Amino acid sequence: MRACRLTLLMAGLVLLAGCATPPPASDPEGVADYRQTNDPLEPTNRVLYAVNDGIDAAIIRPLAVGYTYAVPEVLRTHIHNILDNLNNPVILANDMMEGKPRRAGDTMMRLLINTTLGLGGIFDVADSMGYTAHDADFGITLAMWGVPDGPFLFLPVFGPSSPRDLTGYGTDFAIDPFTWTGTTTPWLLFDYSRYGMTVIDIRASLIPDLDKVKEQALDPYATFRSLYRQHRKAQIEQVEHDTRATVPLWYDHGPAQ
Amino acid sequence: MLTRRTLLLSSLVLAATAAGASGGYAQGSAAQVSPQQASQLIDSTAKRLIAVIDGPGSAEQKRPALQQIIDSVVAVDEIGRFCLGRHWRSASPDEQRDYLELFHRVLLNSITGHLGDYRGITYTLGRPLPGEGGVQVPSTMNRPGQPSADLTWIVADVGGGPKIIDVVAAGTSMRLTQRSDYDSYLVHNGNNVKALLSALKRQVG
Repeated sequence: MRACRLTLLMAGLVLLAGCATPPPASDPEGVADYRQTNDPLEPTNRVLYAVNDGIDAAIIRPLAVGYTYAVPEVLRTHIHNILDNLNNPVILANDMMEGKPRRAGDTMMRLLINTTLGLGGIFDVADSMGYTAHDADFGITLAMWGVPDGPFLFLPVFGPSSPRDLTGYGTDFAIDPFTWTGTTTPWLLFDYSRYGMTVIDIRASLIPDLDKVKEQALDPYATFRSLYRQHRKAQIEQVEHDTRATVPLWYDHGPAQ
Repeated sequence: MLTRRTLLLSSLVLAATAAGASGGYAQGSAAQVSPQQASQLIDSTAKRLIAVIDGPGSAEQKRPALQQIIDSVVAVDEIGRFCLGRHWRSASPDEQRDYLELFHRVLLNSITGHLGDYRGITYTLGRPLPGEGGVQVPSTMNRPGQPSADLTWIVADVGGGPKIIDVVAAGTSMRLTQRSDYDSYLVHNGNNVKALLSALKRQVG
């Protein structure tokens, strides 16, 4: 019942926050900036940002600080490697859907090498063999298919997003093989541990940097919005500009020559 | 999306600011700066900054030396004007002067406030490339006990010589990020430049 009331309260706050008011037509530069910002739900987003910031300050950041204090750096690196390796099936699927066979090949090699030689992903052996990690998710895949990002969204826990990326979260969750491993206690424990560790791992790596954003920005919400959009654009451009030939170099210089 | 390390960008850009290279728009064109000139500028600047940061003395004692380096290699005034965007024209001459003075101090404070974070830093430079708006000089910064950070410095001709006009980390431009911050603050404070000046004054202490 309490949860229900809390949900209703949250929904009420969000509805009360409403939509942003565009500048008057007499201010053409203001109107142009408003359109470029593309954040018509800004008041709602700011409420959700505040909620997220509160959750972070009360729970996630302290856990991340404790994690970095209690766990040696070398162990944290291995945990990070394992989590990265577990995400490789999703990256591989998106590489293929993006129509980037060389990137898919890299991910396939990373998955095979790190799962075997890397002892289940503990060691990132593939990186030293030239198969470096790259980003891929269904939000980027949709962008490659020509889907626009849409208005800015700020989601609790997930943070800055867009309708395109929100669709991406759901799809990546659905295509992740570990989503469908079953509901027995060991698998559920594995899934929840993985999700929890992923949040802590990422938050721990960002402690000094997020602190600096909040300390130095006059409007941290607007700063995160700008950073998120620029970063996503750069990630998409990186995929677009990856025009490496599909045939690997070793094939050209193989035994036939 | 937490699983894709989206927020990493924020950190790197702010770290870059503290490393001494705020971004911004500058008058001039990339054609007047050769890739070699740009690379030499970044190399010599990094050496000078590291010598001061790793040298003896307190943060307060290092301020004048850092300020001198920044003023000589970073187009701070042009960056400041860019960051104020459309609001620059609506500001009075006095407000413009006060703003630029505060902008210099904000930049210097952001460096001196985090000097400890940058002790022992080493770097490598990549091949400079002429690009849109300036020569891009890629670099990798290595800080003890922390992951390395890839930063791209943008160098353009400003006032007849090469100067740093922007730094890009994880695809994010410092000048655009700062501009978004100031613009949003102003929009939410009635487009009043005085409100921004008050906020900056509080920031520099």
